[in-house]
Amino acid sequence: MQLFIKVTMSLLEGLGTTLKIFSLTLLMALPLGLLISLGAMSKFKIIKIPLKMLIWVIRGTPLMLQLIIFGLGPGLMGIMGMDMFLAVIIAFVLNYACYFAEIFRGGIESIPKGQYEAGTVLGYTKMQIFIRIILPQVIKRIIPPMGNEFLTLIKDTSLANTIMIYEITWNAKRMMNSEHILWPLFYSGLFYLILCGIVTVIFNYIEKKLDYYQ
Amino acid sequence: MVILRAENIKKKFGKLEVLKGIDITVSEGEIIAIIGPSGSGKSTLLRCLNKLERIDDGSIYLFEDAIAENGVYKSDKELRPILKNMGMVFQQFNLFPHKSVLDNIIDAPVTVNKISREEASENAKKLLENVGLADKSSAYPSQLSGGQQQRVAIARALAMNPRLLLFDEPTSALDPELTGEVLNVMTDLAKQKNTMIVVTHEIAFAKEVATRVIFMDGGHIIEEGTPEEVIDNPKNERTKQFLKRVT
Repeated sequence: MQLFIKVTMSLLEGLGTTLKIFSLTLLMALPLGLLISLGAMSKFKIIKIPLKMLIWVIRGTPLMLQLIIFGLGPGLMGIMGMDMFLAVIIAFVLNYACYFAEIFRGGIESIPKGQYEAGTVLGYTKMQIFIRIILPQVIKRIIPPMGNEFLTLIKDTSLANTIMIYEITWNAKRMMNSEHILWPLFYSGLFYLILCGIVTVIFNYIEKKLDYYQ
Repeated sequence: MVILRAENIKKKFGKLEVLKGIDITVSEGEIIAIIGPSGSGKSTLLRCLNKLERIDDGSIYLFEDAIAENGVYKSDKELRPILKNMGMVFQQFNLFPHKSVLDNIIDAPVTVNKISREEASENAKKLLENVGLADKSSAYPSQLSGGQQQRVAIARALAMNPRLLLFDEPTSALDPELTGEVLNVMTDLAKQKNTMIVVTHEIAFAKEVATRVIFMDGGHIIEEGTPEEVIDNPKNERTKQFLKRVT
């Protein structure tokens, strides 16, 4: 029983870090992703091309590699010693912003041209059209793919342990090694399952909420 | 009083010349029906008037304000207050699906014209009554028939108190049995002396309601005059053939 409490406390400590990575990533990657998607659709090539390249590189390389580069790169290049948690946040935000950007782009491009035209002839500014007419419809359309990304993010947080951030999986491994027991690994899976379950329920709720129109 | 004046309007899509020098003047209270075969440029002409498409040459004036001069439009910012006087109803309705019928109608008056929600709602309810949809104010567009959606779209355009209303084939996307309700609303608007330009395939409507009919083909105005002149006694051979095909 004592061992169970000890393992639980350790995993809960990891859970705190996992949740921090999860929420900070969302908080920054969602708005950044929207900006990147708008920039990548811009008619100005000087904005569009670098952002398209960024999306290509970030989506085309493993997140684990990006974590290592951001975590160890600055130190190895002699620029500065990197705070590992900061490196995790930078890598996750950038990575997820690029995935979100593509989801936003798909959503924005799926809105019929007539919606923009109706707004224009009624005298709305471009900004008002985007905020009042386009974005609400985009949000409804991107809820399902966003739900997928949120679930992936929960599980991806476990990658942070590659650069010594003690999240759930790290603590489970530590317990396994120090106590010579296997079950903390399965027990840690339960934590992810519950988190994913909560996110799924929330997304189902939002989807239902937005079901009032087609 | 002249409301709209467009001179020598030219428009190309790539190499395809769709408008080859159109002149049109609209006076207050006129109901102008533009008819003609598909691809004749009639919808494009309408869409050039409010910059949904850009002309390549020509000038457009609404009252004394220039919208475009010698093929160059004013900036969006300069145009916004001018173009508010020109309402438009689309073939595909283009209602905002995430807003209720009432919100579709009041959102622009509140957001753009900065009038209070209460005043806008009062006005919207009257408009909904006029188009026969007083009981639908809390419905969403997807819950309405095509004809009902188009009537809401008309009410939405009217809520901005436009001096000129443009209709771009307002009944073409509707099932035949639903066109009547939309045409009835438009007939009422005509009786109330609203100034309207209607691009339409409804020859009977043009004949009954229009004060002037314009027949377009191949990017030109071929013939124009009263419905009696253009529809009942067309002079041009192309007009005659077109009318024979559609009636």
